[in-house]
Amino acid sequence: MKKSKLLMGDEALAFAACDAGLKAFYGYPGTPSTEIFESGEKYIEQLNDGRVAEWAANEKVAYEFALGTSYAGYRTVVTMKHVGLNVALDAFVNSAITGVQGGLVVAVADDPSMHSSQNEQDTRILADFAHIPLLEPSTPQEVYDFTLQAFDLSEKLKLPVVIRLVTRLAHSRGEVYTQEKSLSPTSIGIPGEEEKNNWVLIPSIARGRYRELREKLPAIIETASHYNTKIIDGKSKTGVLMAGMGRAYFEQYVSDNKIDPKKYNLLSIGAYPVDIKLLKKFVASCDVIYVFEEDYPYLEDMIIPYCDGKCTVHGRRDGTLNIDGELNVAAVRAVLENKKIEGKVDDDLFAKISDLIGIRPPKLCEGCGHSDAYEAITTALKNIGVEDARIFGDIGCYTLGVQPPHNAINTCVEMGASLPMAFGAAMAGMSPSVGVIGDSTFLHSGMPTLLSAAKSNLNLNLIIMDNAIVGMTGQQIPVAADIAPTLAKAAGFAEDQVHVFIPLPKKTKDNIEKLEKIFKENKPSLIVFKRKCIQAMRRKLYTKMEKAAV
Amino acid sequence: MQNDKTFGLVVAGVGGQGAITIAQLVLGAAWMNGLHVLQSEVHGMSQRGGEVSAHILISKNKVTSPTIEKGTGDLLIGLEPLEALRHMVYLKKEAHIITSSSPIINMDSYPEIDKVKRLLSTINGVEMINTDALSKEMRFPQGGTIALLGAASVFLPMGDDIWEKVLSERFKNKGEKVIEKNLRAFMTGKELVKQ
Repeated sequence: MKKSKLLMGDEALAFAACDAGLKAFYGYPGTPSTEIFESGEKYIEQLNDGRVAEWAANEKVAYEFALGTSYAGYRTVVTMKHVGLNVALDAFVNSAITGVQGGLVVAVADDPSMHSSQNEQDTRILADFAHIPLLEPSTPQEVYDFTLQAFDLSEKLKLPVVIRLVTRLAHSRGEVYTQEKSLSPTSIGIPGEEEKNNWVLIPSIARGRYRELREKLPAIIETASHYNTKIIDGKSKTGVLMAGMGRAYFEQYVSDNKIDPKKYNLLSIGAYPVDIKLLKKFVASCDVIYVFEEDYPYLEDMIIPYCDGKCTVHGRRDGTLNIDGELNVAAVRAVLENKKIEGKVDDDLFAKISDLIGIRPPKLCEGCGHSDAYEAITTALKNIGVEDARIFGDIGCYTLGVQPPHNAINTCVEMGASLPMAFGAAMAGMSPSVGVIGDSTFLHSGMPTLLSAAKSNLNLNLIIMDNAIVGMTGQQIPVAADIAPTLAKAAGFAEDQVHVFIPLPKKTKDNIEKLEKIFKENKPSLIVFKRKCIQAMRRKLYTKMEKAAV
Repeated sequence: MQNDKTFGLVVAGVGGQGAITIAQLVLGAAWMNGLHVLQSEVHGMSQRGGEVSAHILISKNKVTSPTIEKGTGDLLIGLEPLEALRHMVYLKKEAHIITSSSPIINMDSYPEIDKVKRLLSTINGVEMINTDALSKEMRFPQGGTIALLGAASVFLPMGDDIWEKVLSERFKNKGEKVIEKNLRAFMTGKELVKQ
């Protein structure tokens, strides 16, 4: 008897992983992937049978934690958002060459339309690049089912397996039937005598391993082919090629509008790499093909070369669909029919509404220490006569400092970019050069710049907005707290180059005066603005952390 | 549920108002009624006073799209009047709107509230509820929001008898008194629409 629950896509993945006998969750927080780890952590607590969940300092480290757990013979999941896979890419690509021992599932959440990201890169491309199979579910139930299967596939193929979610699936809640019992985590053992050397990628071994990986491709494609099926192999010459949420939207459109699916020749893709022969056959059976897939025109680009003037492809490449942004039912409808839906809001009402609504952007919380820190930094720069000051920013709540009234930061590129960019600008003569980074982002990838900075004599000001929490993604506990001043000193910063300030309104005047002095000095400094996050305080997370530390 | 059309509900509000809670209550109610459901949320920075919305699709048939197509939604619960206007575009012509008339002014260009209310009152199917006043009257800060759910329940495709169970389960950890308060707020809202 199966149980049913209402689960988000993220939760379904975590539940399935535990039910499949997972030993450990690793990851680094990032919307929309964060809840995979968080719900997994809760479920583990409930199961109480020796499983672990551990946030890492960054995605690369998390990936390597997982690879080590796999080496020890256990099943494991590493979670991250799409851009996190860039950080983990070295480990990701090479883990295909070493292969895995215990099943390793890489749970990556893409963010088409960039609801909370800086780009909408498509994880399918990176999986392809690394020769790693990828499963792409389209409903919370499929997330559960595919994840269960992914562990078996991973152990069978001896490769990591990616589960690709997108925001609309990661954060969608629906009915999920789960298996009755969670398998207890058990090890299949460490790599044996014959496999021992597979994990040592010196060139003489890597060459052989890489060839074996390439030779494994037919087996990988064969495994993936079970997810790639012609749903309707009718007489219609109008093809629909769909994957993931593209399929979900198409199916909703067909069902809501009582359209006979036999009107179309349907090919559904749920796993990659896709067999070229299957695509060729599909193309040969159609006059026209519509492609519905989230993010990049990946499948679309695969079929275009085989059309050869006999078949037309409509998708993101020919402008039938936008080249960017997520799909929805309306996009599917706009492609497949001319009928325009007339809803409650006609042009006239739309104009009236648009006139009024404005935008309601997220803001730093009332009373947040970041506001006080920004006020001190920007005022100090102004006071010492820096005109048109530019401050290198990073990723976190404090990125909201770009907005009025702060108007404080001028860059946000990727995790950890602020400090090295400030260093580079200082090398090129910017003085004072200022970089702002959160404490968790500093631990993630800001840290190495301390080492270069310590050796320099640049007017380089590395500022840490330290609230001892990963604020923006929902207040996760960072891997370490309060270590930056000690690290800086160990790296070579003198006592008078390390400053700790409290960003409170009553301290702002004092902080400004101190900063003015620091910003005039031709030497690197580390400035820590240290104050707790008010959201985390409300949730009593610091009390919990202190208790856990005892 | 009467017919086999997919029913679309939009819940819209501002971070911290409880939009996701309301959405989950409806989702749970429909699910307990044996219907197929799918709900999508816009999360992220919502805690910081930005807009928050959820779409819920309910059907006798399998639901696969987590978002409502513009111009097809059946019902909107607005926890804030300007946010109700913002999400109006998802509704079909005959749709109903149950919205709070109490503004949350945490943005620079918030229009005069009378202008917002006036525009809302010209749209057919709109029912405005002064949730601030209602919460004060009930001495229950979340009362107004739960009253909106009560009012909206009249238009939802689930049986009337499910709500007591749904609210009791949701608030069972908070004790009998809280359950009682929620049930009363729910009924108050429901009566407002029925009158």
